[in-house]
Amino acid sequence: MSEKFSRRDFLKLAGVGAATSAILTGCGPASRYVKREPYMQMPEYNYNGQSTYYATTCRECAAGCGLIVRTVQGRAIKTEGNAGNPLNLGKTCARGQATLHGLYNPDRVQEPLKRSARGGDSTQAMDWDAAIQVVADALKNNKPEEIAFLMGMAPDHLFDLVSDLAKATGMNAPLRFGALGMFEARATLSKAAENLFGEASLPFFDVGGAQVVFSFGANFLETWLSPVSYTRGFAGLREAKTKMRGKFVQFESRMSQTGGKADEWIPLRPGTEALVALAIGKLASEIRGGAMPRAFENVDPIDAASKSGIKLETLEHLAGMFAGSNGALAIPGGPALGQSNGLAVAEAVLALNAISDNFGKPGGVYLSALAPNQSEYQRPASAQEMQEFVQKMADGKIKVLFVHGVNPLFELPTALGFGGASKSVSQIISFATFPDETAREADYVFPDHHGLESWGYQRVATGSAQPVLSGAQPVVSPYYNTRATADVLIAAAQLAGGSFASALPFKDEVEFLHGKVSALMGEVDGSISAPDLPTFMAYFQQHGGYWRNSDERVAPKAGDALNREISAEVAEFAGEGEFFFVPFVSPTLAEAGANKPWLQELPDPTTTVMWNTWVEMNPETAHELGIENDDVVRIVSEAGELEVPVYLYPAIRPDTIAIPFGQGHTAYGRYAENRGVNPADLLGQHFNEAGDLAFAGMKVKVEKTGAKKPLSRLESMMGVYGIGLGEEH
Amino acid sequence: MATLSDLKISEVKLGEEHTGKWGMVIDQDICTGCQACVAACAMENNLSFVGEEDSGYGRSMHWIRIERFWEGEYPEVKMTPNQPMMCQQCGSATCEPVCPAFATVHSQAEQLNLQVYNRCVGTRYCANNCPYQVRSFNWRDYERPEPLPNQLNPDVTVRRRGVMEKCTFCIQRIHKAQDKAKSEGREVVDGEFTTACAQACPANAITFGRVDDPESMVSQLAKRSHGVKHLEELGTLPNVTYFKGG
Repeated sequence: MSEKFSRRDFLKLAGVGAATSAILTGCGPASRYVKREPYMQMPEYNYNGQSTYYATTCRECAAGCGLIVRTVQGRAIKTEGNAGNPLNLGKTCARGQATLHGLYNPDRVQEPLKRSARGGDSTQAMDWDAAIQVVADALKNNKPEEIAFLMGMAPDHLFDLVSDLAKATGMNAPLRFGALGMFEARATLSKAAENLFGEASLPFFDVGGAQVVFSFGANFLETWLSPVSYTRGFAGLREAKTKMRGKFVQFESRMSQTGGKADEWIPLRPGTEALVALAIGKLASEIRGGAMPRAFENVDPIDAASKSGIKLETLEHLAGMFAGSNGALAIPGGPALGQSNGLAVAEAVLALNAISDNFGKPGGVYLSALAPNQSEYQRPASAQEMQEFVQKMADGKIKVLFVHGVNPLFELPTALGFGGASKSVSQIISFATFPDETAREADYVFPDHHGLESWGYQRVATGSAQPVLSGAQPVVSPYYNTRATADVLIAAAQLAGGSFASALPFKDEVEFLHGKVSALMGEVDGSISAPDLPTFMAYFQQHGGYWRNSDERVAPKAGDALNREISAEVAEFAGEGEFFFVPFVSPTLAEAGANKPWLQELPDPTTTVMWNTWVEMNPETAHELGIENDDVVRIVSEAGELEVPVYLYPAIRPDTIAIPFGQGHTAYGRYAENRGVNPADLLGQHFNEAGDLAFAGMKVKVEKTGAKKPLSRLESMMGVYGIGLGEEH
Repeated sequence: MATLSDLKISEVKLGEEHTGKWGMVIDQDICTGCQACVAACAMENNLSFVGEEDSGYGRSMHWIRIERFWEGEYPEVKMTPNQPMMCQQCGSATCEPVCPAFATVHSQAEQLNLQVYNRCVGTRYCANNCPYQVRSFNWRDYERPEPLPNQLNPDVTVRRRGVMEKCTFCIQRIHKAQDKAKSEGREVVDGEFTTACAQACPANAITFGRVDDPESMVSQLAKRSHGVKHLEELGTLPNVTYFKGG
């Protein structure tokens, strides 16, 4: 608490004009934090039993949902959605709820550490001055082109800070990566948009306004792009308020949580998505009449039916459904894009929308609105770009690697060789909040605050019609001796001097943030406006960010989306085995949830398994192979192998197996470590034309091991496949 | 608070037309099974996590769970509409009369089924008698290592080993809203507050409110023709209405 300016004064100031609001402004630059006090000892500004609420932004994924955090005596008690934020309108997902188990996780990195040897547990504590000196030396004593930053998909303000630093000094531009982006195939989506609409942007699908939704693999109710927003859209699709209850058809080889909600679930043969989309397009165009568009000319629906394993009558019925609706919408996503022909799948499915002519219309396809302080869409690095980066590391072209917000040793496929390449990097500095795999391989760990202890902002990339910049502020004071990475970089840049110092001429992170946000002050269409910066920033914190009031989604220029050839080739699969392999992101854990005990204890929405990894296998197939529930099998791919217990899953093709991604940590705290397996160990280095990993383009072998590992499930095993009914056991 | 003389269970005629006070409507057609409600409940109500082994024995402490069943066989297989299941706050609860310690009693004021933790001696008769299987028992003192307890909600009791627990319809939130309304000299307004599960639900599948107020959102919804109450035929008079899938 500053001596000059008490928190109480600040609140008084911030309360001007907002006296009726229940949300307090939070911590101003002069008095940043509320001290955590024993419950018995009330600070003067609080009453016994009264809560204080702060608006901030969720950091569990990059979507940028607004949160209101309830705090009591400087402790964060509960997160709720920020009802004002146009992206999530007061709602959260399970991970947003459990973010508190990250904040108060018993295994956080508690202070700056120097590691005696990479990969080892032996560390020495440092003080922050020494840590900042290490960073300054790393910046100063290496050539700029030998310094690299690897960053996660959130937060954006830090990315902007490092980008500015890189631009001014000639350092490598920061590279962003996240496993979610990889499994979403974001690069493929934006490349397909570029090819079809002439603009590399993230498409926005207005599910809520549609009448019929065909989703080719898109797991939009789970982790895809912006799950809270898409779930709201799905509710809109179903609710029959002003229109008929909308229909939903999902095409995928393994029933996802999203697919479980479909009226019709179509288990097509993996790799035939483009062919099926084009065949449906052709049949639908025939129904609609007129000239046959070029994109569908060379497709034979009978051939499509035989290759995909879907009956011709089913294809015709689906085409009738699509053609007969005024609000049909087709969405490409997920494993359908993570194949050798992923780009063609994305183009074929996007082009299907031309039949219902829904571009830029309610219930149709838009290009996402850019965030208020954004000039063009920036996508995270594709797996292929990561491979190039890893090669640079291996060639010794990177001397210093800074890592923030991403855990490449867990999130990248092992086959990409990040672990081996990191040995050629002289110095690795991690800013990890948790002791993850990459932090264990780093020479230094300079822990950043948890997201709920942090300043910042996140640009909402998609999911909201309005441009949204979600703002973050500390809702509690830092629990441990951590420091904001932005503050560390600013201090280190000052120490390094020269172009570094002039690139970041800020007192601290907050001053940097003010500089970035102040440009929005003069806008007329904004959610907040104020005559001066301190008031504007107070509002920015109070409301949890800034958004424009108008719908700024862009109608794609899709005049000749169908007047082009789209390849109907079936995808190629790598490897020898007899099973198609579908890795999917765990809907509850995602890429970074495994260290939160209540996320571990949430049952998987489809299998109800908790605390472990399983492989899903069709019961018929398993029966033929003599495999039962909980039998441990060895899965062998061209890139690796792992052992995992079987879950007999009734909604998966007999020629397909599936493993959730999210577990299999070798570090990352007590709740995550040595639990389950990581399917990224099985993935080879195959990419689609857009550079995304062909993660669903592998074939694998399944071998019995003879071992058993009972999975913890919420569902009862009684009566499942005869168990407990007196015949088998 | 109910007294002994209030508990004349025999006077409640089974199947009698009954209006509770607080109720819920759950739309299974839009529930996506995402588990946000389960996580929100755990955070709000200080639920313990039990770990892999105990959860495998069915000892996990979920006050709300999402049920899904399979229908048919591949390729005609379907997942039944997700069914969030929690204490139905029965008007004539089968758990209540079997408790020898009067730990699970009916609140006359709120028409809710209470669980009085410091009366509970852990016979588990109530869980045995609950047709909805929504009660969870503290088989151990589950570990919650520092600093995780910082997150605990000071409005909700932390339970120990040997105690039964279940969904309370977030009674701490009900009381808070009532206190606030009282201090402002007014009635609680419909939608002024809601339970943790309903507040989190990204699909807005859960609606909570006064079922004895015909104007409330929950009463309006419950009137829809396709609403059902689970195991109603047992005469439990549940206060949760479900809309099955579309």
